[in-house]
Amino acid sequence: MNSKFSIIGKPTAMVDAAEKTTGSGKYTDDLSVPGMLVGKILHSPYPHARIKAIDTNKAEKLDGVVAVAVGQDAPKTYGILPVGHDEYPLALDKVRYVGDNVACVVATSEAIAERALELIDVDYEVLPGYFDPEESMKAKSDLIHDHKLNNIEKDYHHVFGDPERGLAEADQVAEARFISNEVTHAAMEPHSTLASFEIDPHTGKPGRLTVWSSTQVPYYLQHKLSLVLEMPMQQIRVIKPLVGGGFGGKSEVIPLEIIAAIAARKAKAPVKITYTREEVFWAHRGRPRTIIDLKTGVKKDGRITAVKARVVQDGGAYCSYGVVTILYSGALLGALYDIPNIQFDGYRVLTNKPACGAMRGHGTVNVRFAFESQLDELASAIGMDPAEIRRRNLLHSPCITVNGLRVQSYGLPECIEKTVERSGWKERKGKLAKGRGLGIACSHYVSGAANSIIRSDMPHSTVNIKIDRDGGVVVYTGASEIGQGSDTMTAQIAAETLGCSLSRIRVVAADTDLTPIDIGSYSSRVTFMAGNATLRAAGEVKKLIAAAAAKTMSCDPEDVVFRDDLITKKVCVGTDAVVRPAEQGSAASVSGRVEGQILRGSLQQKRKEEGPKESTTFEEAVVTAIDFHGALTGTGSYAPPAEARGGKHKGAGVGPSPAYSYSAQVAEVSVDEETGEVTVHKVWAAHDCGRALNPVSVEGQIIGSVWMGMGQALTEEMVWKDGMLMNPGLLEYRSPSSVESPEVEPIIVESVDPEGPFGAKECSEGSLAATIPAIANAIYDAVGVRLHESPFTPERVLAALRAKKLAKTLNLTEGIDPTAPSRFREHGGSLWFKGKGPERHPLDPSRQADAPAGGAD
Amino acid sequence: MKKELIELRVNGRAHELAIEPNALLLDVLRQQLQLTGSKRGCDDSSCGACTVLIDGVAMMSCTLLAASCEGQEVTTIEGVSEHGSLAAIQKAYGDWGGAQCGYCTPGFIMTVKSLLAENSNPSEADIRMALSSNLCRCTGYNQMYQAIGSAIKAEREGLAVAGSGGGKG
Amino acid sequence: MSLPEFKLLRARELRQALEFLGKCAGSALPGQTARAPDSRERLSLHDSGLRVVAGGTDLIPSMKQKLFEPEYVLDLRAIRELRGIRPLADGGVEIGALTTLREIERSAFLRQHYPVLTEAAASVASPVLRNMGTIGGNICLDTRCLWYNQSLTWRKGCGFCIKKDGDLCHVAPGGAKCWAAFSGDTPPALLCLDAELELASATGTRRVALRDFYTGLGDNYRNLQRNELLTRVLLPASSAGFTGVYRKLRVRGSIDYPLAGVAVAMKRYNSHIADARIGITAVNPAPLLVAGASELLAGKTLDESLAEAAGDMAAKISKPLTTSALTPEYRREMIRVFTKRAVLAAAQAEN
Repeated sequence: MNSKFSIIGKPTAMVDAAEKTTGSGKYTDDLSVPGMLVGKILHSPYPHARIKAIDTNKAEKLDGVVAVAVGQDAPKTYGILPVGHDEYPLALDKVRYVGDNVACVVATSEAIAERALELIDVDYEVLPGYFDPEESMKAKSDLIHDHKLNNIEKDYHHVFGDPERGLAEADQVAEARFISNEVTHAAMEPHSTLASFEIDPHTGKPGRLTVWSSTQVPYYLQHKLSLVLEMPMQQIRVIKPLVGGGFGGKSEVIPLEIIAAIAARKAKAPVKITYTREEVFWAHRGRPRTIIDLKTGVKKDGRITAVKARVVQDGGAYCSYGVVTILYSGALLGALYDIPNIQFDGYRVLTNKPACGAMRGHGTVNVRFAFESQLDELASAIGMDPAEIRRRNLLHSPCITVNGLRVQSYGLPECIEKTVERSGWKERKGKLAKGRGLGIACSHYVSGAANSIIRSDMPHSTVNIKIDRDGGVVVYTGASEIGQGSDTMTAQIAAETLGCSLSRIRVVAADTDLTPIDIGSYSSRVTFMAGNATLRAAGEVKKLIAAAAAKTMSCDPEDVVFRDDLITKKVCVGTDAVVRPAEQGSAASVSGRVEGQILRGSLQQKRKEEGPKESTTFEEAVVTAIDFHGALTGTGSYAPPAEARGGKHKGAGVGPSPAYSYSAQVAEVSVDEETGEVTVHKVWAAHDCGRALNPVSVEGQIIGSVWMGMGQALTEEMVWKDGMLMNPGLLEYRSPSSVESPEVEPIIVESVDPEGPFGAKECSEGSLAATIPAIANAIYDAVGVRLHESPFTPERVLAALRAKKLAKTLNLTEGIDPTAPSRFREHGGSLWFKGKGPERHPLDPSRQADAPAGGAD
Repeated sequence: MKKELIELRVNGRAHELAIEPNALLLDVLRQQLQLTGSKRGCDDSSCGACTVLIDGVAMMSCTLLAASCEGQEVTTIEGVSEHGSLAAIQKAYGDWGGAQCGYCTPGFIMTVKSLLAENSNPSEADIRMALSSNLCRCTGYNQMYQAIGSAIKAEREGLAVAGSGGGKG
Repeated sequence: MSLPEFKLLRARELRQALEFLGKCAGSALPGQTARAPDSRERLSLHDSGLRVVAGGTDLIPSMKQKLFEPEYVLDLRAIRELRGIRPLADGGVEIGALTTLREIERSAFLRQHYPVLTEAAASVASPVLRNMGTIGGNICLDTRCLWYNQSLTWRKGCGFCIKKDGDLCHVAPGGAKCWAAFSGDTPPALLCLDAELELASATGTRRVALRDFYTGLGDNYRNLQRNELLTRVLLPASSAGFTGVYRKLRVRGSIDYPLAGVAVAMKRYNSHIADARIGITAVNPAPLLVAGASELLAGKTLDESLAEAAGDMAAKISKPLTTSALTPEYRREMIRVFTKRAVLAAAQAEN
């Protein structure tokens, strides 16, 4: 029923499309200000070491070097979570991963800054490094953070229902260990920050700070800058220019963002720091390597009786979003299917590697791979079609799940129906040529977290709207456009609500001086929350215009319709629309306040003479309203309702969302049985986004999610050796190219959420998680091997095939069965390092065979 | 380092520039000429975000010495718009979702320009192969194929209407 | 990442390039003076003081990583005389070293007479990189290793390696040999075609067989004097008319260097094989011609088991180590599988 809208539901080019296609749009690294200097960061070469001394003298003396900042220049800790303030912008006493930040040189050119980095002498005392989370958990001494015993950042133990009884009642139980290796966002734009202080006119000293940064969270950045620089927030302005992709990698404060400000303060000049691609990999905050021990029981009829999951995440050296990540991995076992009994044991573990954080599908993706694979296995064990077993476990919405998640709109049944139908599942499954197969899997995601990471009652999004006499609408939103289309969504909602054309709308976004607080673009919250705030702000302004228009048309404000730049009287159907005197009176009194002053204008005179009109243009109505009320402004805000905020148990804050998106996917793959190479031919992806506000964007988000999931499934993996990242570049970290990227058929399902703006929910993350298990299940369908470790590289697939055939077994994967990985190799991924690690520290205790990392236990 | 004076032709205009011999074309475009449309996405010549045309051939400006391009015609994304309006490929990228975050978009458009200059009617396989020089992290490439198809159509119809237009290079 | 400082020498003619090289190698020609960018400045004569850049796709990223910090960079891009594919009267062909891989890929002449080369050229990196990269550059490509092709900061973190700045090999820690893998795609094809190289210096030119050009060492991987430049690649008439197939192991369908590569060139006579050659790459410090392949295949009718025998033969001489992604065992195994397949495909290919 899109015809009831003129803008919503219509494919719309992004409002910033021309800036992007002409190259005129400015990203942070495209900016320069007069007198700007270049900052370069010195990184730790050691995974774990104490800093005994830093000597910057030689560097400072190099011609062209303006300043060298070190930890002592801002010895304050910060972190994105209030419980995780464990990072210094520049290391104070210890470095905790290869790439940790030690000092920052400010110079007149990049080349000079790079040369100066070579002149800084740092005296390190090397400590044992921890690279494997299960080993790290045994640590007794030389802890990564002194107050984190056993190097465990956080552990949670949740029991809902009676999992033991559930498993006892099951007809079939599957139990296995799954491992997902580490992946990263690899957004095309490397992080960049430009920081500049103004001289305060009153004190004559450096005053306000302006920071331009590639961030998804300008307000969190403002907050953390204030904390570390010990400046009031109102003295700091954060501006987000165009951002070249985030995917979660810019959803927290990244070291360079604070270092740039510290460096600018010390150099007394504007400083820009742009990461090299290698530094982007060190800044990381990607999806942690995860070990999942999963046990699921089902009845013969396919009903799931219980799930037990033990999840260990290799979190890297700092907390980052870690506590939230581990909680999501448990909480989102619920809300997809109806599971009566759940046990979750989650461990977020510290290791000497770059910190992991939030990445597209935060926390759910790896567990979803495990769960959907195991469900496929169980379906096969009880002889049920894999699509059918998913249908047997649907929720009955509206409902509240066993772990306290409220579900109000649930398009999963339709998603399953549509993918099954479009992919020809019934006709083709099991009948494809040798080596070719189909697999199905489902997933879901939150439309924003119902509880903000900063506990407070403030709205999560606020939007202001201003309309002037020219009929131009300016929407001020703190929401951060990062390529997902948030500015376009804002413009569409404002235009639809006000019944004006899209070209009237100008979106001013993500500038802390201009725009009201919005907590940022992460956890797929923007459409739902900033969209709702926009809807409310526009609704407020609309009331003012309606009152004025009603007056010129001599009708009740309730009875005017805004559409296509025209305001008309509602066509009377029955008696409901009859104007009621009381309401008319109250509306008149609202506008009557200022009538006396403004009725001088000739336009009013003219209107009076013309008498009541049948319709009025948007522009006329705006002028009339401004004449009555003065400038037209409106504010709308959104906070998730109390009912959506979840249960009371420890950690209950993570997982609840005002609404969940749903996805079902079928993947068609073929496997080369001689090489193990997997080709994904096509993915059918149905996604319940509530309502597709902009179908072209929604489809783009679905395709992009599926594609990124495919990357994690097949080619992407961060490979480590003794804390050294072996592939810190886009050449060796292989995100797929167009050649091997499959056709993705996006299928939009609209369940129309009761609380979403026009019924909309999230569409940018939920699809990712289903792709990995859909491909895994399709590989099983094609060649009969079940892979328990991602990515499904050709060597893993071939090793599995060889093992299955008991053919000439080749030691292709270091003797670890990829179908049943038993342990987490220190170097994770590619399994190909058999030699010793880097011989860089002869005295590094972690390198001595008789003193294993983590000590004895 | 001692600078040298070179003449660089960019988007049809000649610029006399004093550059260091080790200056990369990308840095000269972005920092000296303020043509920031070409982007840096990697340091190992793998991502293609810096793609420009050198005498009409797509090349990576992060991998070329600026001085080495003296005497050649450099075309950047800023030289693609026609008479202040979007070229068909630019319009199509916007309309069909070919650009999301937009960071890789200028590089892709230059690659597509170079493809279409050689082959005005590429198959989908040709397009996939050509686009495989550039990495995109948002779109999964699918909507780019639609955009390119639509741009080819628009270009053809435009030429038919204009009668004599002359193929764009 | 910025490039290290250097002085740029832009040669417009081959003669000029060779003079620059001669100066740097300490063998200035009597009676001639090279025109340095600044005439008062004398060219430095110290070791490896000069790097040659053509397409730049190999050298420039490596210079960003400070793998090379030469005093001079000699830019060959403007030398027209070293570009182009010239069929010779005797039926062979001469390819200028600065001919781009794209030009080779698209050459109808090469596709008809030397298809294994066009196929290998078409698989290098990505189309845009092939617009830049040259055949000479692909032949002279630096060997690659994950412990070597990293930034200065990174290499510092692992204590450097034997190929650059260090004294040990992380891949084979016991030994003193560098195992960086030669990762060019076209050399195995050129080996199959019996290619010869013309190496020029200010004092003259010489020809070497491509198979004698590589040393088999990861660090000092090629036989090229400091004053020499690879100027031409020559393919003999006797290699024309072989069907050709190149198979490349890569994780991604584009951009990637080979993780293993197999080139097969084959001549058939009626239903049997008249001659066949197999070249492999990316699994040793040099591209190798599989010795004995000709003897194994020539005069026989191809079947699956013969192709498998060829595969075993190729796998036997491939010694990949942990220089790149994927296990050495897997890469070696793929040499076996890809050889078998390439031999079968070459036998099917239309001439």
